[in-house]
Amino acid sequence: MSSTTVAPEKVAAPQKGWAGQSVPRKEDKRLVQGEGVFVDDVKRHGMGYVHFVRSPYAHAHITSIDVSKAEEIGGVHGTLTGEEVAALTDPFFQISSVPGAHLKDYALAVGKVRYVGEAVVAVVAETRELARDASELVEVEYEPLPAVVDARRARDEGTPVLHDDAGGNLMWEGVYEWGDVEQAFAEADRVVSISELHFHRFNSTPLETDGAVVEFNRGVGQWTIHCNNQFPGFAAIMMGPAMRCGLDKLRFVTQDIGGGFGNKITSHPQLVVCCLLARKLNRPVNWTEWRTDFHLSMSHGNERFFLDTEVAVKEDGTLLGFRTKALDDAGAWLRYEPLGGVIWAQVVPGMYRWKHMRLEFTQVATNKAPVSPNRGYSRMQHLWFTERVIDIVAHELDLDPVEVRKRNYVRADEMPYTTPNGCVYDSGDYARMLDVALDLIGHDSLEERRRDAESRGRLLGFGIGSTLDSGTNNFGQSRLINPELQFSGNNEVATVKLDIFGEIVVTLGTTPQGQGHETTAAQVVADILKCSVDDVHVRAGHDDYWNSHAGFSGTYASQFAVTGLTAVKGATELLAKEILKLGSVILGGVPEDALELAEGTVRIKDNPEAALPFMACGAIINANNAGLPEDLGVTLNCRYVYRPPFEVPDIERKYGNLTLTYAAQIHAAVIEIDPETGYYEVVDYAAVDDCGKRINPQIVEGQVMGATAQALGAAIHEIFEYDDEGNLLTPNFYDYHVPHALDMPPLATGAIESPSPFTELGTKGMGEGGGAGIHAICAAVQDALRGHGDAIVWDSHNPYRRVWELLQRPEESRARVEVS
Amino acid sequence: MLLREVEYAKPASVAEALELLAANDGARALAGGQTLVNVMKARAASPDGLVDLNGLEELKGIELDAGGTLTIGAMTTYTELVRSVEAKARPILGEVCATIADVQVRNRGTIGGNVCSNDPTNHLPPLMVAIGASMTVAGADGEREVPADEFFLGVYMTAVGPGELLTRIAIPAGKADGFAAVTLGADGTCIANAAASVDAGGFRVALGCVDAVPVVVTAGAPEQVAEAVRAAGIDAPSDVHASSEYRAHLAEVLAVRAARQAAERS
Amino acid sequence: MESLSPTRSISVTVNGTTYEREVEARKLLIHFIRDDLDLTGSHVGCDTGNCGACSVIVDGTLLKSCMLLAVQADGASVETVEGLSADGELTPLQQSFSDHHALQCGYCTPGMLMSATALLRENPSPSEDEVKKALQGNICRCTGYWNIVEAVTAVGE
Repeated sequence: MSSTTVAPEKVAAPQKGWAGQSVPRKEDKRLVQGEGVFVDDVKRHGMGYVHFVRSPYAHAHITSIDVSKAEEIGGVHGTLTGEEVAALTDPFFQISSVPGAHLKDYALAVGKVRYVGEAVVAVVAETRELARDASELVEVEYEPLPAVVDARRARDEGTPVLHDDAGGNLMWEGVYEWGDVEQAFAEADRVVSISELHFHRFNSTPLETDGAVVEFNRGVGQWTIHCNNQFPGFAAIMMGPAMRCGLDKLRFVTQDIGGGFGNKITSHPQLVVCCLLARKLNRPVNWTEWRTDFHLSMSHGNERFFLDTEVAVKEDGTLLGFRTKALDDAGAWLRYEPLGGVIWAQVVPGMYRWKHMRLEFTQVATNKAPVSPNRGYSRMQHLWFTERVIDIVAHELDLDPVEVRKRNYVRADEMPYTTPNGCVYDSGDYARMLDVALDLIGHDSLEERRRDAESRGRLLGFGIGSTLDSGTNNFGQSRLINPELQFSGNNEVATVKLDIFGEIVVTLGTTPQGQGHETTAAQVVADILKCSVDDVHVRAGHDDYWNSHAGFSGTYASQFAVTGLTAVKGATELLAKEILKLGSVILGGVPEDALELAEGTVRIKDNPEAALPFMACGAIINANNAGLPEDLGVTLNCRYVYRPPFEVPDIERKYGNLTLTYAAQIHAAVIEIDPETGYYEVVDYAAVDDCGKRINPQIVEGQVMGATAQALGAAIHEIFEYDDEGNLLTPNFYDYHVPHALDMPPLATGAIESPSPFTELGTKGMGEGGGAGIHAICAAVQDALRGHGDAIVWDSHNPYRRVWELLQRPEESRARVEVS
Repeated sequence: MLLREVEYAKPASVAEALELLAANDGARALAGGQTLVNVMKARAASPDGLVDLNGLEELKGIELDAGGTLTIGAMTTYTELVRSVEAKARPILGEVCATIADVQVRNRGTIGGNVCSNDPTNHLPPLMVAIGASMTVAGADGEREVPADEFFLGVYMTAVGPGELLTRIAIPAGKADGFAAVTLGADGTCIANAAASVDAGGFRVALGCVDAVPVVVTAGAPEQVAEAVRAAGIDAPSDVHASSEYRAHLAEVLAVRAARQAAERS
Repeated sequence: MESLSPTRSISVTVNGTTYEREVEARKLLIHFIRDDLDLTGSHVGCDTGNCGACSVIVDGTLLKSCMLLAVQADGASVETVEGLSADGELTPLQQSFSDHHALQCGYCTPGMLMSATALLRENPSPSEDEVKKALQGNICRCTGYWNIVEAVTAVGE
């Protein structure tokens, strides 16, 4: 079913070093016994259950709300309405400059609803069922308004406007241009024009939905928010000012999170509702999001059109540059947006060496669920665009897409490579990765396989998808969206200490959702302290009380292997130094460079018998410290903040390094289409990854596999599709089909390691994956249709019905392309 | 996904079940629950009461008589059908049931529930119609036989009326059957499906997914099936998975494939 | 003679312990297990019975506990993930999941383990295809299933 180059190794002797080994995960023991603690597992005496009353209309005025009948039911503790929220809180901070800056975003709808599923009232009752029942007795009167669901119509004259405060549906726009685009087109031998490409709306549907158990400590005015939000740093920044309280009053606690993929970043509105309810009702409250509510209202991935694309190309397939207009459909509110309007710029040229590009980015509001980060956030959309361009250009100029890629890939000897907008690709060898992928997929036997498929009445298609996974954000890029923002750089925290009995205890600022942070952190610590990973205890989850968090703490944007692990490294190195220093004192003044850490002790290199176990170190500092030198400065409790080396980007030129590392993935897919029905299956698949130094190869491969499966799901089945009235047609797993076990193709994985010169461990963040599977499937479909209508694939979503349409009416898709 | 308040009873016999249903207008029979519980979770329908048929031995059992008729209790699960030696007398039954959803659903979902819910995307209604099954419906006045092509009356509506229960389904033995579907992922919901059976009288093809009830077409040979489907003038529903045009096209293609499969096995 | 009632006294044995409770007829088995019995290893992942995170074994049969009413488990013997290992000793199946990195976030894992357990009881050495078929009712968003299938087939070898 899958063949992998990663053979999980048994835990080996410490001499080999822990980094690079597929050490078994510490998280597994509790998870396979059903002893994880996910948010709905947290129980508090007397807690009430929250159910949201949601809008059935895509766009409507709220004319009245009557909660009296609901509140009369025995067992109903109370309710919360938008009116109360507007009185108790201030609107959420808006990242955007004008006009998006004018949005007044509250935790519940105030005065108006702007998408089907928007939360209007919250009801709390003593059981889940009662809360649900009572919500049906809440009476909300609406005055429906016409809705806008097509982003291309959002700025037309007469189109319904969502936010009068913004004066229209335009939320943000900006023009990006680098190099000499006019010159590039003047020099081009051919210009390939593509009128419209469309990246569809979907997300990663983590199996666990959002949730929180919130308690309010009246005496100190502090909320404890047990939740599964994956970026508490961001949630706190949004919630504190809105709730008019200091951030220390918001204690975030997470332990096990059932998948995040970016989709658990913007739950702050619901968390505010829970906080207000906990305070109002004087009891803890539990909110567990329904699957349907997640689909209706949470974190759709950016839907983006690329309009009027023109590509300047030489006869031999060398790409000079492109122009395009990116139209981004943000849905009804800007929560993390419009950062998507700049995040794509981390990968402006994709993996290619072209130097001249112009992209006009426009983000509009529509009566659909708000968009916010989804795995591959905004880079995936742009990388899909570059891959479509490569494939369509190759198609139209009758060139081999493999050759066009090799001709245009940034080369290994050009690394570190500065892109036209000042980002620096740290390392990588894309051509070599492509060769590995071709080998794994059996590229040489492709034509033979094609003929065999034909004999069975099938059309075989082969496609490549190459992508980048940029990691560790420079939040200074937010200033390209709004120059007045005071964000820049990035950080992450870790603490490492020796307890009184010498136990090594680590806390992280991150909020893992399955990436194995406890394990990889332990590997880094064990390598420095020269002990076993089994001796390193990493606390599960995140808790603000541990003081191991910073402004940007969380798990998002493919960065843990850099930010989290470097923080761990830093803290552990501080601890190691302290142990050596203490050892020097206790072992009779021996100089530190004569000492080493080994086997859980600090000892004299030339006389290993003279050893001080960690237990003794811990005991001395904590409980037996009389007589130690006054200036010792050893606490054995070390905290380190890792700050990646960033500058604030040049806002005028939109130039500067936006991301520290660039992992890469190249995928190859073989599909077979049944031309009579448009049904197709993926019959073979290969995925090659390069994320620099891999601390735990098995965990890395797991991320590659997961990203592949999600991309295949998005390419073939998954879509948040709306009808003309703004109703979501795929509000649950019945209609929104995600891949199941039988849907998975055979998979071969490969990996190379191009260490990052910019990180202390040589690691690069990875995990998001950049949607290579989508790019590969689109390419494969287009390849299969060569000679059968020659349709071009212009949408990222290609279910059976679309493939059939491309076969039936190829001229419709071909009308989008022109070569001059 | 929480049910409204509902009353529940677990009768010890079919007679008791019928009495409960007759006495309580708002009560519904609860078979495998793989459809009804979902419907109630969504609150799309909320019966006042549930009469649980699980555990009624009278509704279980798969028998093959000397004349070659298979009699299948309405509460037979898909798994039981797949594993049944007797049911191999009509192999298409087990083959199709094995593709319904997943193990958990097949372990509890029943053939009776599948036909009585008559969701247009279900596998069994077109299959029953194509192979000429006969349904036994029990009520206060006794039992009556309803042939499959008179059993399905509308979306979610069958010949089983208030106070009645489907107790068993009779199917003649035979092998000359075919079934073809395009589904949402492997073993997923049907986007379009077709069941076919051939005998001396020719091909009989029943199309699911395109109308409230299975649409039957007949033809002398598989090559004529496509035209028969077109002549039926189907106005297929349009939804997020298929346009009306695409679904109608699939129906035609699948009808021919099902017929060919039946021909190969005859 | 039975009559319709909105509540019922039930006796359910879960992982060998018998619980007697009065429950509403409308309560789903999964909520009874999680909320009434505090066995939170079985999870809820969807609204429509598609994800299988709630999978348990009832009287030897693998079922989705969100598609069953608690009252329907009266007199039954239920097995959940908590009953797989005795005293924290991982079973070969659980160990295999860890060895093969068949879990990331762990949310689908209890359901996967119950489905795999049901399969292995009937078919101790399943093929890859048989494993996929047996796990078809369990959605995972993290792993892509490849390692899970490997973990289960490995137990059978």
